[in-house]
Order: sequence, then structure tokens, then C-alpha cells
Amino acid sequence: MIYLGFEEHEKHNLIVEYRNNYSIRNTVIISPKQFPLMFGWSDNIEWSDTIEYETFYRLLQEITEDSLVVLSEPLRSQNRYDLTYNCIRHFLQQTKHKIIFQQFPQIDIKEDFMILFDFDTNSKWKKYKWDINLILDNIEINVKPLLIQLNGITVQTQHSTKEKYYTEKTKMFNQIGNKNPDTIPRNLYLVGGKDKHAYIKSQCKSLFKNDKNDKNVLFVARNQRLKSDNILTYKNARNDNKSNYILIELPHKFIDFTDFLKANQQLKYDLLVADLKVDKWYLKKYTDWINRINETYTNLLKK
Amino acid sequence: MRLTQTYSKNENVLDAAKRRVKFIFDNFTDIKVSVSGGKDSTVLAHLMLNEAKLRNRKIGLFFLDEEVVYSSTIEQVEYLMEEMAPKNVTPLWLQIEFNLTNSTSLKERHLVAWESGKHKLWMRPKKSYAIKFPNWNIENQKMENKEIGLGFYAVIENFENCYKNSAFVVGLRATESPNRWRTVSKNPIHVNGSNVYWGTKKGENFSVYPLYDWNFHDIWKYIFDNKLKYSKIYDYQFRKGMNIQEMRISSLIHEKSFKSLVEMPEFEPKTYNRLVKRLKGIELAQETGKSATLFKVSKLPKNFTSWLMYRDFLIKTHPEASKANLFVKRFAKHLKNERVAKQQVRQLLLNDTENNIPVSNKPDPRDELLAYYKEVL
Repeated sequence: MIYLGFEEHEKHNLIVEYRNNYSIRNTVIISPKQFPLMFGWSDNIEWSDTIEYETFYRLLQEITEDSLVVLSEPLRSQNRYDLTYNCIRHFLQQTKHKIIFQQFPQIDIKEDFMILFDFDTNSKWKKYKWDINLILDNIEINVKPLLIQLNGITVQTQHSTKEKYYTEKTKMFNQIGNKNPDTIPRNLYLVGGKDKHAYIKSQCKSLFKNDKNDKNVLFVARNQRLKSDNILTYKNARNDNKSNYILIELPHKFIDFTDFLKANQQLKYDLLVADLKVDKWYLKKYTDWINRINETYTNLLKK
Repeated sequence: MRLTQTYSKNENVLDAAKRRVKFIFDNFTDIKVSVSGGKDSTVLAHLMLNEAKLRNRKIGLFFLDEEVVYSSTIEQVEYLMEEMAPKNVTPLWLQIEFNLTNSTSLKERHLVAWESGKHKLWMRPKKSYAIKFPNWNIENQKMENKEIGLGFYAVIENFENCYKNSAFVVGLRATESPNRWRTVSKNPIHVNGSNVYWGTKKGENFSVYPLYDWNFHDIWKYIFDNKLKYSKIYDYQFRKGMNIQEMRISSLIHEKSFKSLVEMPEFEPKTYNRLVKRLKGIELAQETGKSATLFKVSKLPKNFTSWLMYRDFLIKTHPEASKANLFVKRFAKHLKNERVAKQQVRQLLLNDTENNIPVSNKPDPRDELLAYYKEVL
């Protein structure tokens, strides 16, 4: 069974209930390091350890028909034939008791969901692409849709910033050589940072609604280059799950953003969008992504 | 662990293999089992010899000895031929002079295995009962190609052509690669009224693959259950943490497998010392077989900013003009992009004149992505 959008305490209750209902002998929980799901009574496996010989062969021996395998947040790669996924498939072949928890149904595109589908169906349809009828006919899914909202706040940049943007852009394309092309939008996205910082200082009252010293409101940027106490990086913000965040920039990879979302549970965000092409491109990239996720929810909830 | 994976839902792979072995014995009088000293052929030989013992029959065990192999491989083949069921074995240990690709050196392109006049350099003496000269008419013998002459596959073909209506039993498993799957399944054969989907016709003989649906774990389960000896190299590889694909007892100097040289001094120091004297390029390949900037071809050396630039440098500085021209002609048919150039560099570094690791001649997705970014950013 697949559960989408469930919180940690709900996961705990569901696992305990399942164990009691089916006289489970042992419970193996596989979860990534960032979001460990572990209990004193379960065999807790870190995601990256799954492929190690000492873990893989031990679990092949220990997982039997009365074992429960729990996968918590297993979507870590979009490669359906990823080695870790393949190892987990071996475990799942050995028992019919399995629970899969995942925050969002996909990392990027709806095809990603088929990785979860494979887990729940013993990879019977591993060669099939996304097919909502196939999915709904063959698995049970519990969905709590998490609806992300991004509200763009336009930030006017100075003429010098715009000049710098075009100079940097030309330079990057000329010098890209053998480097990953993604470095171009990644680096260009940082150009508007100073103007955004200036905007935060000038507009903090309206951004913080009423109180400019509101300590619960923090900003999130790609890195620490803006050097300000109220600006965190995505990595740091993951460990601070009580604040309200305003986004200065978005991560390049969706998985970094969903990891951030998972840690702080906030779904509605204000995002500073400089009047540069790259900022608009990132906003569109994420808006399209949110629409894709919402479309998947609509499909999965058809049943 | 259980033997569960099978292409027939009603029987496990072991029972299926035993049934296929019986079929082979029922339908062929002349049976030859190909062995390599690896885990798969060990299991295959054991299954075949068990049946041979039950029927009081003799079968051939065929081993084409490349000379340059692990000592553990030789010990394993000796175990199969001399210890497992000697009364039921006709040893067909081929130690004849033939050519092997040496991907470790630009200067000594080929190893002439068992080269006459070089007895003192051979990795080890020939076996007393080995077949030491071709048992076919060398005037009409098949050759691999102009470059390699009598190569590994040509020897096998010539050897097989000496026989008629024989079953050559091979421990090939489909799960190892799509190519192997195609080999097994492309041309089913008809034997005495039965369709055999795990066999192919080869000249006047048949190749059959009774282990075609076994996976890696099935093989090890069988070895464990039957307490069979196996090559020590697997234990070394397992301890090194190598993955399943890397754990192979294969040729030591071929383009696709020379990386095993990197670990060789650790696994078998004596064999390695002997090999260094036997063939040029071994030390370099041992040191750099997994180096990102050399044989692994995953990173550009510092002085180059593109694979195209590096490729052109390698062609320009190639020690043999005729070989360099061969590459120039081949590359002229390819697309000009970084993705293709990187693969061409691999061919040049491995001196792959035979095109054993072909270039995938496709547009570079990077170019498309860069064009997109130029437009939208």
C-alpha cells in the first residue's frame, strides 16, 4: 500500500496497526539519512546502506513471508533501474507485507511515480510507462495532497545588475567547455542576489507583514553569500522547522526543494523574482512542476 | 534465499536446468561442455557430469586456454577436468598458438598466446594432455579478420567445425546482458520434433544454454548447496567490495576486461609478475586501468578543454601512422560533438583498431540543452 503526504506520527501509527493486524515477526524500515524513520523495535536501514553487501545479503536472509518492509521517502532517484531500487525489489519479492510512504508522488515528472508502483506490485509491470488505469487497478493508494503555492514578488534590479547579467551570460556560454550546461542558469540566478538583499532591507516591513523584527520570518537562499543573520541556506533551513520562510532563490533540483518542504511542512511561499530572464525561467520551471504534481494528485484521486 | 526466478512459472530454475540436461543427453550422442573456470561453467559442468555418471557416458569438457589467465582459473579447470568425474570426462584443453587483442599497449598490439619459440616466457608450461596443435585443416581455417588473424572466436569456430551433430553446451545466462539474451533466444532449434528455445544452430552443430534463466544468486546457491570448489578470485573480488557486474573471471588484456589488472598484484602477485615479463603495457594498465584521466576516460587531462581537442592530440601523436589513419577514416563517418569525441578518445587510448567498443554515433544532448538555455536565459 502506498501512502502519499503522511506525517511521521501517522506513519508510526499505521505501521503499528499493520504489525498487529498481520502478526508480523520483524519489521525492516528503509529510510534516507535526511529523514530517518526508526523505532526501537524495528530493523532500521539507512538508504545508502541498502546496496552494501553486509546489509543486502543479511536482509535477503532475514526477510521472510512474515516480515514487514517499510519504505519511507524512497524516491531519491528518477532512474527506475537504480541499483538501490533493484536491491529493494529483491527484498520485496520475499514478502507480501509492505508499506510505502512518500511525501510527493514524484520528483519531477509523473513517470517517477512508477518507481513506487513497482515497489508495491513486485515489479510486475516494470517495463510499463505511466498508465493511470493500470495504477488504479492494481494498487491501493492513500493520498493527502500537499498543494504547494509560490507567490512571486517582483524585484526591480539596477541597470548595473542587468549589464552584469548579460556580460556573465556571454562569458559563461563562451567558456562552458566541458562543464555541465546547468551551471549557466545556476550561476546566472545568483546575479540578482544583491538587489534582492537590498529589497529585503527596504521592504522588510511589508514582507514581515507588521513586525520588522519578527524572528520567525527567515529568508532562504542558495548559499551564504549574502551574509545576513536572517538568511539561511536550504540545507540549514532543513534543520530549523519552526520558521516562516520567504524564498530569495529556488534550488536547481526539485528534490532539494522537496527535501526542504518535507522538513518544514510549509506549503505557501513568497518568492523574490528579479526582473531578469533567469528568475522568470526558474519561477516558470517551478510553476510547471507544481502543476504536474497537482495533475498527478487529480489522477490518483479519481478512484 | 530460494531459487525462484525462472521463465517458466511452474518450476524453479534448478529443476528446469536438470530437465534440459536430460534432454541434451537423450538427444545427442556427442556432447561438449564449454568451461572457462568461472562460476557459471562450474555449475554447468557439475550438472552435466552428474547426468553423465548416471548414464555411464563420457562428455567432452572444452577449455580454450588463453595462456594469460589467473592461476586460480587454471586450478579451477583442473578441478573440473581431473577431480569432478574424471571417468566421464574427455578433456579438450586447447593450448594452441592464436592471437589475442592486447589493449594495454600501443606497441605490442597482440599477444600471440602459446607462441612457438617463446616457451620460456609462457605463463606456465602446457598441460600434458592438452591439444597442442590445431585439429583442423589450417589451410582452410576461418580467420577473425585481417587485423587479428586467428583470434579467439575463430579458434572456437574452427574447433567446432571439426564435429557434426554435436551439442556444445554453454553456461551463458540471459540476465548478464541483452546481447546474451539475444544470443540465447534469436533462433530456436528443432531437435527430434521438439522446439528448443534455449538453443541455437551453429553450422552443423547445436549450441545449447541450459542455465539461460539462472541469475547470479542461483549460481552461488547451487555452488554452496553442492559444496563445489570455485575460483579464489571471486572471494578476493567480494572482499574488495566489487559489484556483481565486476565480479568476473574474464580475459585479462581485452578492451572490455583489462581493468581486472588493477587488482591483480593484490590477488595473484606471482601471476602478475609473470605477466609483466610476458607482455608490454601491463604495468601502465595496472596503475591506470581505473584512472579517470586515462583508461577510464571519464575526466579530461588538465591541458585539454574539450574531448575533441584531446582526440586530435592523440591522433597526431599516435606512434603508428597507419593505425592513426585507420582511426581518422573511421571518425570521419562520425558526428562531431563532445559525446562522440569522448568515445573516440576511449578507442584511441585502448588502441581499439578492431572497433570492439563501438562509438555510439548520436547527437550530444548537451548541445540541445545549451541551445535551449541560450534562448530562454
